[in-house]
Amino acid sequence: MIYLDHGATSFYKPHSVHQAVQRALLTCGNPGRGGYGASMAAARMVLQCRQRVAELFDCQPEQVVITSSCTHGLNMAIQTLVKPGSRVVISGFEHNAVTRPLYALGAKVIVAGRKLFDWQDTLEQFEKALRAGADAAVFTCMSNVFGYILPVEQMAELCHRYRVPFILDGAQGAGKMMLKWSRMKPAFMAMPGHKGLLGPQGTGVLICGILPRPLIYGGTGSVSRQQQMPDFLPDGAEAGTLNVPGIAGLSAGIAWVLKRGEQSILDRETQLAGQLITGLKKQGIAVFAGEHQGGTVSFTTDEDCEVLAQVLAQGGFCVRAGLHCAPLAHESAGTLRQGTVRVSVGYGTESGHIRSLVSAMPKAIKNCKKF
Amino acid sequence: MRACLITFRSVTPAQRGELVLRRAGIDCNIRRTARWMEEQGCGYSLHLNCKDMYRAVEQLRTRGIPYRRFYRSTEDGTLEEMAL
Repeated sequence: MIYLDHGATSFYKPHSVHQAVQRALLTCGNPGRGGYGASMAAARMVLQCRQRVAELFDCQPEQVVITSSCTHGLNMAIQTLVKPGSRVVISGFEHNAVTRPLYALGAKVIVAGRKLFDWQDTLEQFEKALRAGADAAVFTCMSNVFGYILPVEQMAELCHRYRVPFILDGAQGAGKMMLKWSRMKPAFMAMPGHKGLLGPQGTGVLICGILPRPLIYGGTGSVSRQQQMPDFLPDGAEAGTLNVPGIAGLSAGIAWVLKRGEQSILDRETQLAGQLITGLKKQGIAVFAGEHQGGTVSFTTDEDCEVLAQVLAQGGFCVRAGLHCAPLAHESAGTLRQGTVRVSVGYGTESGHIRSLVSAMPKAIKNCKKF
Repeated sequence: MRACLITFRSVTPAQRGELVLRRAGIDCNIRRTARWMEEQGCGYSLHLNCKDMYRAVEQLRTRGIPYRRFYRSTEDGTLEEMAL
């Protein structure tokens, strides 16, 4: 099997992640719920994870709220900043994890910047929308469909200039791009734990610049007599028992990223993406490629994208087809009707995997006719 | 040795405090806060030698670690709240 769907989740993970999960299952109780060894061991492990997140994203450990996914964090952040009727500026490449909560809240959504790989358009349209007045902004650091890396630091700067609180969606960039909370100071930065951070599924992080409105209420192991949720972080946003084995794995995954360095990871993935783009283009395949692209590549052929992905799966290649939960991004790129096949590289992807995929393409396309 | 306590609202600031104090060479350990000391319930405390108390509080203040109250043991072994 050649796994090329790291945009969905990283697979496999470093061995240290497996070991950390197993160790947590054997040694950790419920953190913050007792003074005995197993509870304190869990608390130490969770704090270590917060510290590693803080080191990677340059924030304080208390700002790190552990969530169950990036979507969980985005929902918490959006529900804190956005009210019914709020004017919210988003990029043209947002995921449903951003757009669905906004529509559910009845926000007035302004889509700004729809040209792929075009920083000038993204920044001009974004500024224009902010200048017209906005209550909040939400934008991704990298399109999950096309790998377009948005100019997030400049967008953050614009938000500060127009005094618009913003949420950064780090779903595809966390652990790969240099996303520093201290440089951008978003109200919130949400990310999954299981993609670029290499943790297990069911983990995520929300870095909070302000106290979020919790999505769920309950026990936190602190100020228990009080019937309101704690008004301090991270407790105020972490009701219920934490996913301790997951957090242990996440912590180990982040340690791996810290050791390797985000820039080196991104450089490697960009190089692999470049190899793929060149190989596919040589075969006359329509590839979405441009400047400011990470390790995710979408392409279309004359065949149905889902059928092609299925044929590739039969040949052992794991790629994703369809709309990738991001119809807005497809609308921006003009691929909403047909969708695309997406290849996303990551931990464990090698140059040979890309060569194998490129070599397999002509036969796969031919086999679609028989499918 | 006279024992002093610094209380915290939850485990995270207590752990952060523990790390800060240890890095500053102050020996301490983390325990649950006695129920009577924390009216809101479920806190954690750092236990340390009273001789290090002022330096410990200074460290916590400098690092912005939020603490609650201070206690010291009396001659008869009971604890009393102290103002710093």
